[in-house]
Amino acid sequence: MISTGNDIISLNAINITRTKQPRFYSKILSGAERSLYNTPEFAAIPLASFVWLLWSVKESAYKFLKRIDPELVFTPIKFEVEQLHVPATFTITHVEPEEFEGLGFDDRPVLKGILSKGDIKLYSRSLVYDNLILSVVNSTDDFDNIYWGIKSIGNADHHTQSAAVREFLVASLQNVLDDEDITISKTPQGIPVLLSGGKVTQIPVSLSHHEHLIAYSFQLNK
Amino acid sequence: MTRQEILTELKKVIAPYTTNKEMLADINEDTDLIRDLKINSANLVDIIIDAEAKYDIEIDYDAADKMMNVGTCIDVISERLK
Repeated sequence: MISTGNDIISLNAINITRTKQPRFYSKILSGAERSLYNTPEFAAIPLASFVWLLWSVKESAYKFLKRIDPELVFTPIKFEVEQLHVPATFTITHVEPEEFEGLGFDDRPVLKGILSKGDIKLYSRSLVYDNLILSVVNSTDDFDNIYWGIKSIGNADHHTQSAAVREFLVASLQNVLDDEDITISKTPQGIPVLLSGGKVTQIPVSLSHHEHLIAYSFQLNK
Repeated sequence: MTRQEILTELKKVIAPYTTNKEMLADINEDTDLIRDLKINSANLVDIIIDAEAKYDIEIDYDAADKMMNVGTCIDVISERLK
């Protein structure tokens, strides 16, 4: 399956009190996922961050699969995070995401996950800071050819978010592909599509935004 | 409650999570929460929790995945009010 999916969470925008209420997180996390949080591996991660971390992994998986099944509906609890590994020396730090981008995740303290939706198994990488979470999902455990970027923007209205994230993605693609004639459109189901010279390409792209943060991912063949 | 009464109350539940107030004023049963009202998906659980409190009902996750537009939200709520 060639696709990509990402999700950005602005932890400054979430309601932490509500997130920590069982009534809230039980609509996002399964019993097994809640048990996962009680393992020593997650000692460094606050409950609210854990809940939104799993949300971002699940939403990324949803975006990944929606490209293949456009009628798919997002039900967080039906995406099951089976494994999530925190690096041994992991601590939560702060990042100022004016603009940072990467290719793969090997040079960063990244959380690696495995999740399933029915019979489909997917893999995730997540960056977790005290102010944001970015997750990206792939169909294999190889993220070396996945480009991603995070940026903060001044205005959080929907129109600005939408325009800014397209502009951010297009700038990155122009640089990587050395192609100035790149545009992004969306299918009627809301799936982003990359066009070069007005023609649809097979390069999967994913866009996300939350409050003052925007993010993209795309995957190129090796 | 009639569907129109539920719709009127549902508008109040949705209001804090959309900046598209113009569209909110004109919502109908076909209005899509994410595409039309520009509600961030991260707020969908908030809407479900607020609807549960408003109508004193419980919306399980099997029903929650149907709540993508206003009409299906009304379906789920009216079903649980019976």
